[in-house]
Amino acid sequence: MSGAALPRNRPRRVIQLTAMMNGDVDDLELHRRLSAGDRDAFDQLYRRYAPTAFGMAYRLTGQQMLAQDVVHDAFMALWRAPEAFDPARGAFRTFFLSLVHHRAVDTVRREERLRKRSERAANLEPLTDEDPAEDVVDEAFLGIRRRELRQALATLPDPQRQVLEMAYFQAYTQAQIAEELDIPIGTVKTRTLAAMRKLRRALYRED
Amino acid sequence: MADTHEAIEELLAGYVLRSLSGEDAARADHLLTDHVPHCPACRDSLAMFQGVTADLALEATPLRPPDTLLPRLHRDLGAQDRRRRPAAVLAVAASVVAVVGFAGLAVTQSMRVSDARSRIDNIRSAFDFARRPGASMVQVDSSTSDTEPITEISRPGTERFYLVGSDVPLPPEGTVYRVWLVSGTRATWATDFVPEPGMMIVTLEFDPSRYDRIVISVEPEGSTPDAPRLAVWQTAS
Repeated sequence: MSGAALPRNRPRRVIQLTAMMNGDVDDLELHRRLSAGDRDAFDQLYRRYAPTAFGMAYRLTGQQMLAQDVVHDAFMALWRAPEAFDPARGAFRTFFLSLVHHRAVDTVRREERLRKRSERAANLEPLTDEDPAEDVVDEAFLGIRRRELRQALATLPDPQRQVLEMAYFQAYTQAQIAEELDIPIGTVKTRTLAAMRKLRRALYRED
Repeated sequence: MADTHEAIEELLAGYVLRSLSGEDAARADHLLTDHVPHCPACRDSLAMFQGVTADLALEATPLRPPDTLLPRLHRDLGAQDRRRRPAAVLAVAASVVAVVGFAGLAVTQSMRVSDARSRIDNIRSAFDFARRPGASMVQVDSSTSDTEPITEISRPGTERFYLVGSDVPLPPEGTVYRVWLVSGTRATWATDFVPEPGMMIVTLEFDPSRYDRIVISVEPEGSTPDAPRLAVWQTAS
């Protein structure tokens, strides 16, 4: 077999678990309670994740109402089928933020007319006269993770950061990115993989 | 040619970003079914990439959601509270048969009165919905000859539809049925359900006219809803 085979017996699972933060552990308890129909647990998860989810959905869709619908649908899906999250597969925030992202991407693609709005997402006008970020106090562990993520992103070469931005926040497919940047799709794939690997090393402390 | 792990990781990176299309998306689906579940290295790569992708959400500035959102959720939770099971899977009292005109319904001994009542309410809602102007019923065909089709009841422009079935067989042990709304090559996860004996009604808060087709697949219970694997029922495109 050609190509770089992954090393065997690497203790990735251990690395992932040690990267789990106290907030992730709290999430597990909240999810357990939510699964039993505890509305207070639902509210706590809402307070914890709604600002991040709404910020991300708004950046993708560029529309407050659509972003609100995305976040609403994600929380309702969580309430209706909490068993869709399997703690053995990773942190709750991984599951939930992926769920929100998937729904936001689907919304953008379903309504192609939003494309231009999402292209402007990096320069969105504030929702109100005040900076909305001023109203949001991150949960401590999310704030730490946010800083780590932004530091890791800052280490990426611009071309790699660009393809990630276009894929994640503008809902472009790799084929569309290649067309937009006028580069081969193979280059898009290579840059994407390189960026994801660097972020993985930075965020999961792989050696 | 078999994919190398390098090529597989490329696909997985694009997959978790939801940025694959065409042949790449099909290859990823194939790998996720045939290779990744049996390859510890690829499983871990996928899990890591999913973690990284979720963390990318933190790059966006957190925004305070509209003040109306939580009350809206509370209102909708109230409607859901009476049917806590994920997909409002229904089996109702024989006395309801006369009300709704269906046969073959039953109440299990363990079913609480409140559960039965909520199921009755749900059936009434479905039938009220089906009687409204513009409502239509579409057959969701089974991929196997020994399973009856399911019926979709929907109305254009309405963010709700129902899936109705009778004596739907249980999925294999450790699995659930998963409902997907598909547009092109993109599948949006709607809900999971496990049917109970008798009549089954699944309520979904989506407008199906926005999608090309509905697919119901069998998936491992508790698995991440990434993409449909084994389709059991689906509407024509």
